[in-house]
Amino acid sequence: MQSGFDRRRINGPEESNPPIFEDEETPTWNVGMPRRNRASVDIRPIFLQPGLINQATGSAYIETQNTKIACAVFGPRQAKNVAFNEKGRLNVDVKFAPFSCDRRRAPMRDAEDRSIAMAIHQAISSSVRLDVLPKSVIDIFITIVESDGIEGCVAAGVIVASTALTDAGIEIFGLVASCSAAAVGEDIWLDPSLRESQESRGTLVLSCMPALSTVSSIWQTGNMNTGDVLACMDACNSRCTDIHSVIAQVLLDSI
Amino acid sequence: MATTSISKAEQSYIQTALLSDPPLRTDGRSLHDFRSVALETGIAPLANGSARISIGQDPHDGSGGTEVLAAAKVEVESVEEGGVDAGRVVCTVSCSPAAYPQLATAALEDLQYDMTTIVHQTLSHPSLHPKNLRILPGKKSWLLNLDLIVLADSGNIYDALFMAARAALWDTKIPRTRAVEYKARKGVPGSAGLSAAVGKVGGSGDMDIDEEAPSGFDTRQIQHATDFELPDYWDEGEVLDGRDIWPVCITLNLVPPVHFLDAILREEAAAPLKILLIYSFPPSEKPRVQGMRMLGPGELTLEQIKDLVNRGEHYARDVFTALHTKLKDEDVRRNQKAREKFERR
Repeated sequence: MQSGFDRRRINGPEESNPPIFEDEETPTWNVGMPRRNRASVDIRPIFLQPGLINQATGSAYIETQNTKIACAVFGPRQAKNVAFNEKGRLNVDVKFAPFSCDRRRAPMRDAEDRSIAMAIHQAISSSVRLDVLPKSVIDIFITIVESDGIEGCVAAGVIVASTALTDAGIEIFGLVASCSAAAVGEDIWLDPSLRESQESRGTLVLSCMPALSTVSSIWQTGNMNTGDVLACMDACNSRCTDIHSVIAQVLLDSI
Repeated sequence: MATTSISKAEQSYIQTALLSDPPLRTDGRSLHDFRSVALETGIAPLANGSARISIGQDPHDGSGGTEVLAAAKVEVESVEEGGVDAGRVVCTVSCSPAAYPQLATAALEDLQYDMTTIVHQTLSHPSLHPKNLRILPGKKSWLLNLDLIVLADSGNIYDALFMAARAALWDTKIPRTRAVEYKARKGVPGSAGLSAAVGKVGGSGDMDIDEEAPSGFDTRQIQHATDFELPDYWDEGEVLDGRDIWPVCITLNLVPPVHFLDAILREEAAAPLKILLIYSFPPSEKPRVQGMRMLGPGELTLEQIKDLVNRGEHYARDVFTALHTKLKDEDVRRNQKAREKFERR
């Protein structure tokens, strides 16, 4: 563990556990009971703001209750030391702030998550007109300031990246909206929080371009039957239309 | 994730052939045919379960084909040191550089990481967790490491990985354990002796000894159990719980409007968009979707995806049935037949 040790930082203790507070114990929930705090098809309210980071070509910040993500887009710039490529390349980097999760994510060691970056890349890459940007690279840096479930991070990450790309003035085919769903008991809950996805049988994240009515990514894990999957996809797809109008409104307001 | 690059002319040639009527593939298969799959279990004697799979190997000289080795090894983990009470499953995929000679080290690492993510996220999901990985409740549990090695890739690597994983996990045996505790011997103050062996741990699935304990053991004593022993060192143990439900993966390669299975490398490069569907078919239960991923550039409509999910279920069931039959055969070969052969000597 000492090999990836960075002396320039103030390193926390090697072992740490999150404190448990007495009043934190929420009432127990059992399978079959209705969802707490919101209806099963409701998503958490979205706060989205483009243009937060001045030195970036485009940027955006999203907050859906406890999920807080900032995104900066740099480029398109010339790709150096790379073989000729007639299509542009999209780099997605996802970093967790050390304090973003229940357990501390040590800088360098486990702050980067390639699987989330790949999920976001898959969702947005087909929306960007990379064919008009030969020999160039677009960098997207996503910082997760606070995380409330991986599914929520992927969905919010896709939305914020698409908004930042638009803010940067990069040509895209359409805005990408993304929504997550969890199969809990017999129900389908949209936009599950960390706790809810832990209680669920399986989760699904769907990213689509509502303007073109195409789906660019599906990311499902856990135990669902075929009916659940189809129902989740339908529910997410219709909710994505609402998310699309949120993004569009925010972008209009920012002009 | 095209690992080979082909020219535009070749790409268009392959795509046109796939879209023509009747569809044509370079090796003469129809769109939904698989290459021949060879499977052997128990190839790593030091592992608790292992398998080797090859897809599309030349039957005459044994060349070519996608080849994957999988081996499961269990180790004891104490809960205080980062273990989980009910045990853990950790999957890792590593690729031999010989399988991808065209990739640089960094690219190979990324590829390994992507494969590991998909396999690990799917197989370590709580809905598939085996129940007999617990040794001492609250103290010790098994950590099941499933390592997959890609020896050669000639297309359809994800299907091969999941088939190998399923075969290795099917073959995995968890050692039987027995909890022990230490008691001061009566009359001899200060001397501690190994006295009681309390219950058979691991045998009753999820450790519901409280309800079903047939003997007059004081169940409170189980809480005092500090360590465990292997009752029979030479016994391989019992099979991993829930070995019927480990899923299989089916990769649908897409050249809309058609899709095809078991692509070779060149076809993968010509049709970069694919959907991985990971299905499990538990006996006496509805089929379960255990994972789904879209990989590669391109989009689909929701109707197309729904259609693919339904079709994928049929293909996956075929693969699952064939694999199940083969695994049963392997069990017979390695246990019954081996015993008969031994007796005849």
